[in-house]
Amino acid sequence: MKYKTQQIAWLFFATSMLLFALQLVYGFIMAFAHMGYDTLHPWIPFNAARAVHTNLLVMWLLSGFMGAAYYIIPEEVEREIVAPKLAVVQWAAFVIVGVIAIIGFHFGWWEGRKFLEIPRPLDWLVVVDVLTFVGIIGVTIWKGNRPTTTAIALYLGLVLAAVLYLPGMIHFKSQVLDSFYRWWVVHLWVEGVWELVMGGILSFLLIKLTGVDREILEKWLYVIVGFTFLSGILGTGHHYYYIGAPRIWLIVGGVFSALEPLAFLGMAMYGIAMARKGGRQHPNKNALLWTLGCCIMSFTGAGFLGFAHTLPQVNMYTHGTLVTAMHGHMAFWGAYGMLVFALIAYAMPELTGRARHKGKMAEWAFWMTTIGMVAMTGAFAVAGVAQVYMERMTGLDFLDVQDALQVHFFGLVLAATLFTTGFALYVVDFVKYGLPRSGGAPRTTTNGSADDVVVAVGARAAEG
Amino acid sequence: MLSKSAARAFFIGGTLLTGVAFAALTVHTHQTVPEQSNEANLTPAVERGHGIWTDENCMGCHTLLGEGAYYAPELTKVVERRGKLWIKTFIKDPEAMFPGRRRMVKYDFTDAQIDDLIAFLEWVGNIDANGFPADPPYAPAPQAVIVGGRSLDNAPEVFKSLCTACHMVGGKGGNVGPPLDDISARYDAASLDAWLVDPQAIKPGTAMPKLPLTPEHRKAISTFLLETR
Repeated sequence: MKYKTQQIAWLFFATSMLLFALQLVYGFIMAFAHMGYDTLHPWIPFNAARAVHTNLLVMWLLSGFMGAAYYIIPEEVEREIVAPKLAVVQWAAFVIVGVIAIIGFHFGWWEGRKFLEIPRPLDWLVVVDVLTFVGIIGVTIWKGNRPTTTAIALYLGLVLAAVLYLPGMIHFKSQVLDSFYRWWVVHLWVEGVWELVMGGILSFLLIKLTGVDREILEKWLYVIVGFTFLSGILGTGHHYYYIGAPRIWLIVGGVFSALEPLAFLGMAMYGIAMARKGGRQHPNKNALLWTLGCCIMSFTGAGFLGFAHTLPQVNMYTHGTLVTAMHGHMAFWGAYGMLVFALIAYAMPELTGRARHKGKMAEWAFWMTTIGMVAMTGAFAVAGVAQVYMERMTGLDFLDVQDALQVHFFGLVLAATLFTTGFALYVVDFVKYGLPRSGGAPRTTTNGSADDVVVAVGARAAEG
Repeated sequence: MLSKSAARAFFIGGTLLTGVAFAALTVHTHQTVPEQSNEANLTPAVERGHGIWTDENCMGCHTLLGEGAYYAPELTKVVERRGKLWIKTFIKDPEAMFPGRRRMVKYDFTDAQIDDLIAFLEWVGNIDANGFPADPPYAPAPQAVIVGGRSLDNAPEVFKSLCTACHMVGGKGGNVGPPLDDISARYDAASLDAWLVDPQAIKPGTAMPKLPLTPEHRKAISTFLLETR
C-alpha cells in the first residue's frame, strides 16, 4: 500500500462480505420455498425475500466497486484521496441507507419494480451519497498527477452508473414505459457501464499482476469497452421484445445482443493473453486465480448463457421462466462477484502488510465457489428448460409444473451449500488478514514460503 | 498494428453511433407505445391498480409481460384465462382456492381495490406485446365433441369462472378435482347444495374449498350439473 487513504477501501470490502453473506441467507430461504418448505412465509413472504436478495446483490457489488475506486485511484493518479473523513462518512451513510432499505422491505416499504425496489425517499439519499462519492474520487483524479486510462475508465463507469440511476426514478402511468426506463438502469448498468468498471479494475489487476506494459493493456481496454458499448447499448432491445414496445426492437435487440458475447469473449482473451505474456511473477497467485476466473466465468455466464436465450424466437418461450435465473446467477457472479473478490484478494496483503499469498484455504475458497456456482447454474438450467417445455410448450398448469421442479431445487440447495462453504473460507481468510495498517507494504516474495514466515514473524514483532 | 488512439477513436465513435441510434429508437417507442398499449383505455382505475401492483410488489413472485419473479404464475392474460369473478374470489382468500399448495399472501383489499387491480390486469392483457405469451405449440388439441356428454357452452357464468379452475366438464377445465360430467349419478339437488355450502363439513380434509357462493349461484350450478340429458 503506497497511500494511507487506500485503507478506506477496507471498510467497503468488509461491508461487501457482510452484505453478500446476508444475500446467501435469503437465497436459501427462496430455494427452500421453491422446494415446498415455505415455513417463513408469514414473516418473510417470497416477494420480500426476493427484494432483499436482489438488492443486497446490487449493494454489495456497488460497495465493492466503491472500495475498488478508493483503493485503485490513489495508486493510479499518484496522490492521497482528498477529504478522507468525508469518504468515511460517505461509507457510513451508504451502510445506513442500505440497512434501512433492507429492513423496510420486510415491512412492505418498497416499490414493486424488479431490482429497483428501494422506495423513492431513499432513492434521493442514494443519489446524494453517490454524488459525494463521485465528487471525492473526481477531485482526487483532478488533483492527481496522472489521469491514466485505467483510472478514467473506472471513474467514467461509476459516474455513468450514477447518472443512469435517474431514469429509474421517473414515474410513468403506463406499465410499458415504466418497464422501458427501468431497463435503462438495470440493463445499461450490467451490460454497459458496469463493464467499464470491470474493464478498469481488470486492467489495474493485470498491470499489477502480470507486469505487461500499461500502453498495451490500455489500448486493448479501449477495444473491449468499445465492443461493450457497441453491442450493449442497442442490446437493451432484448428486454423490449414482449413488453408492449414496438416490433423493431425484435430485430435491433436480436442482432446487437448476439454481438454482446464478443465483448465478454474479448475480456476473457484479454485476461488470459496478458497473463501468459506477462514476465513478472507476482507472488499473489491467489489474486491472479480470481482475475482469470472472473474473465472465464463472465464469458460463460454473461456472454454464452445470455446468448442462449436472447434470440427473440427463443425468448418468446423462455421469457419470464427460470432460464433467466440460470443466466443471471452465473453472469452476476462471474462478471462482478468474482471481480470484486479478485480485487480484494489482491488488495488485502497490500493493505494489511501480511504476505499470506499461498494459503491452501484461499485456493479452496476459489474452487469451491466456482464449482458450486457451475453446479447451481446446472440446477437452474435443468429446472428452467423443463419449465419451458412443460408449461410454455405443452401448456401444463403452472403449479403442477412447479411441483415437478422441486427436486431440482434440492440440487440447487446442495450446490449452493458447496458455494457457501467456499465463500465462508474466503471470509475466514479475509478476517485472518486483520485490519489495514499504515506503512505495511508486504515484502513480496518469489521463492517459497520461507520468506512469508519471515514477514509473518516480522509483522508479529512489529505488533508486539 | 492498432494504435492506442485508433482504439480510443473506435470506442468513442462506436458509442456515439449506437447512442444516437438508441435515442432515435426511444423516440420511436414513445410514438408507438400509446397505440400499442391502448393508452386511451388507461383509466384512473387502471392507474390505481398499477399503484397497488407496485405497492405490494406483486412482481416479487409473479411475472407480468414476462417480467418479475418465477415463483407464481404469469399474469399477462389472467383476466382472459380465469375471469373476473374467479380472480376476485381468489384474492380474498388465496389459500382456500389451492389448499395445501404454494402460498400467496392474503391481502386485506377492499372490493374497490380488487376491482382496480383487475382493471389494471385487464388493461395489461390487451397490450399488443408482439405475440407474448405464445400459445403452447404442443398442447393437446381440445376435444371438440364428447359423445353423449355435457359441454361448458350452456354452463352458467359462475361455473365457468370458478368451478372449471379445478374440474372438467366435457373435457375442458382443470384437473385438480374430479370431472363432473356424471355427477347426477351420485348427488341429488339437496346433497349437492349441502356440499357446496361447506365441503369440509361433509368430508373433512377435502381439497375442495368453501367458496363464497350465493344461493342463486348454488342453484344455477346444481341445475346445470344435475339436468338429465
